[in-house]
Amino acid sequence: MVRTTVSLAELPEGSTATIRDIDSLSPTSQRLLDMGFVPGTSIRAVKKAPMGDPTTFEIRGYQVGLRRSESSLIDVEIMPDDR
Amino acid sequence: MTGKISRNVFLVGNPNSGKTSLFNAMTGERRRVGNWPGVTVQKLEGIASTELATLTICDLPGTYSLTPATPEEEVVLKTIDEAATGCIVNVVDIANFERNLFLTTQLIELGIKPVVSLNCFDSFTKAGGIVDLQKFSSFTCTTPFPTVARTGEGTRNLVEFIGQNGADNRSDNANWLSLPEIWRNAADQILRLQGLHWESATAAQRYSSLSSLIRMQPGQMSAELIEIRQDLAKKLSEGREKPVKTTDLACELASDRYRRIEKLIAACAIVPGKNIPAWQEKLDRVLTHRFLGLPMFALMMAWVFWTTFSLGEIPMGWMESLVGALSDFVQANMQESLIKELLIGGIISGVGGVIIFVPNILILFFWIAILEDSGYMSRAAFIMDKMMNSIGLHGRAFIPMIMGLGCNVPAVLATRIIDNRFQRLLTMLLIPLVTCAARLPVLVLLCGTFFPDNPSAWMFSLFFVNLLVLVFLGQTTSVIFKTSENSPFLLEMPPYRLPTPSSVFHMLYEKGAHFVEKAGTVILAGAIIIWVLSVFPREVPLSFDYAAEVAELKAQEATDEVAVKIAALDHKRDIELMEGRYMARLGKFIHPVMAPLGFSWRETVSLIPGFLAKESVVSTLSVLYLPYSQNIGDAMRETGMTRLTAFVFMTFTLLYIPCIATLGVMWRESGSTRFTALALVVYFAIAYGVSYVILKIGSALQGSSGMAWFEGMVIITSALFASWYLLKTFIVTISGSKCNSCASSGSCPSSGKSDCSGGCP
Repeated sequence: MVRTTVSLAELPEGSTATIRDIDSLSPTSQRLLDMGFVPGTSIRAVKKAPMGDPTTFEIRGYQVGLRRSESSLIDVEIMPDDR
Repeated sequence: MTGKISRNVFLVGNPNSGKTSLFNAMTGERRRVGNWPGVTVQKLEGIASTELATLTICDLPGTYSLTPATPEEEVVLKTIDEAATGCIVNVVDIANFERNLFLTTQLIELGIKPVVSLNCFDSFTKAGGIVDLQKFSSFTCTTPFPTVARTGEGTRNLVEFIGQNGADNRSDNANWLSLPEIWRNAADQILRLQGLHWESATAAQRYSSLSSLIRMQPGQMSAELIEIRQDLAKKLSEGREKPVKTTDLACELASDRYRRIEKLIAACAIVPGKNIPAWQEKLDRVLTHRFLGLPMFALMMAWVFWTTFSLGEIPMGWMESLVGALSDFVQANMQESLIKELLIGGIISGVGGVIIFVPNILILFFWIAILEDSGYMSRAAFIMDKMMNSIGLHGRAFIPMIMGLGCNVPAVLATRIIDNRFQRLLTMLLIPLVTCAARLPVLVLLCGTFFPDNPSAWMFSLFFVNLLVLVFLGQTTSVIFKTSENSPFLLEMPPYRLPTPSSVFHMLYEKGAHFVEKAGTVILAGAIIIWVLSVFPREVPLSFDYAAEVAELKAQEATDEVAVKIAALDHKRDIELMEGRYMARLGKFIHPVMAPLGFSWRETVSLIPGFLAKESVVSTLSVLYLPYSQNIGDAMRETGMTRLTAFVFMTFTLLYIPCIATLGVMWRESGSTRFTALALVVYFAIAYGVSYVILKIGSALQGSSGMAWFEGMVIITSALFASWYLLKTFIVTISGSKCNSCASSGSCPSSGKSDCSGGCP
């Protein structure tokens, strides 16, 4: 069992991960927390936009598009089985 | 009616939760309903009546959380105390249960007892969701109402309930969603520093104590506050492996809230896993496909553009002939008077200038309503975001910008689809720099006049200069204002839905009426002012007694020669009259400002009616230059205008200010006189600056060599500049800024490699 922690921005399309941590210094983080991006939540990278950014993520049953500048604030742990 | 109680009702909820639909269903008064987060940007009010009560219903801006991220969301926090004295209806999109309950949790923590409208109940049950309302009610101490706001189902019960039920809108009864003891004690300690108590504090005071507990940027904090935070962190750390830091408090509180929500949902509901069904996800894969997504969007945009501006020309023609017929009618049936002139020159043409836009606006908004209500608009924004972000704009700004190529007026109206006010204003600022179709005839005419040998190349270079200015202004503002920080990008993907005819119809009605009533008055006023400037003062001292001379000629035998003489005299008189009017005087007055650009007073004067419609620049010029030659190009050359000044003049005409119709809608849509005035200054300054630079570069080049050389250089340099900017923008846009500048270059596994495909997309 190898667990890898990466930034959410690097989560490959289609894979699922668990949120580990969120940058507590960015002003955007409060909003992300309020929208349910809290540690322990499972999150899936659904689709990248044709030009590579933004990416839609599925979290808590809804889908939201985040730019790299937002998704890089979040660290996730990729489930080994889903790779 | 006497004996009725009146209550204020406030609707709060997430964007796209159906708040505005519920508002419409409750009040019967129609408002814009869109399947798009953030349609409500202003305070909307309406009245609902029951047998017992009159309810004033206020629709607050949609927000994910009480902690504001935009000025619109701040409205919710600011009205929370006022709202707590009335009745708060919390609209919860049950198809998106967990996240919507976050706001509910925040309200309950502050001691507010909301009436919960469980909206979109139909799609929830259809997807297999079940909720035990009894349990929900007792676990949260609130009254839930299942509603389907789009059809109005369940709203009557809600309204009746609010009408009957009195004042118990505040409650501190502990329930599953209320604030844990540890947090409440810490917040109470903070309130005590200000001489308050949790029990007696208002909702806003409670909110502020909680937010200082979790503030992320410590900044200036009192020693007491730091101590309370450390104490809280210590208490939370009990029984955990990893101690909680004070910077983690925000994360702790959010996690705690979601834990409470999860527990509540687990106890009283079975929810389907996701709000976007699998078949819609497949559809999404096609519509946002890596290779097919953009062409499909481009096709859709081409269709919208074509129908708006080409198909729109047909009803526009009808409008034009109607206005023409009306003015002919007045011409034929009214006695010669100032009022007649005002009717024809000012009012009828002014009204014509307003209604001429209506077909465009209606067609464009028909498509926008369909795109929005179906949920495709969010996908379009998703596809286009990267490109628009490179000039500091949101993905949603693409549609208004592209529509600007047809006409700036509907484009400015279309900025409504951008929910963030800052982003909306930025888009509005940039739209007038998009060369609209009405400016093309001016370019064609002037280029044909001044550069008869190769007009299209010159037009092209002017077009490039314009594009360059647009990109430059966009990039500069985004750097100065740090747009990405000002507006965090969170683009919610709503499920696809079939647009309802009534919602489309009401959008069209509202748009059309709004435009005619609000912007129309401004445009009409502008047209009348320009008219007044061009016909007053009535009496102009003439250098020559034309009337006597003409009378004398008329008394003679009516030969061709005499007729020509009379025509020439009339003509000379007209010019003299025109020079004496306020407009020409104003032009001469401001001429010193424009002189450094090499313009004569005639050019300066022609810019004034250009404000009404850019085409008028050409017609005014031709009248002013008539004494010199029938051909305006020859006349201008005769009076000392060079090709360089002509080019500069065209650049200036293109950029200096948007037409009055655009300005009118900008003023109305931004709701800010300051913004509009600022925008005017910006355009003028840019036009002046760019023209001046071109003039200087041009004359420097001209000094050393002949015209052909200069001509080539201007084209080459402008093309170089333009392509440099465009390339830079597009490289950043499409290739994703490569590894070295990407946000996660430090942790990227493939950094340093030539391509980024190995995990750092």
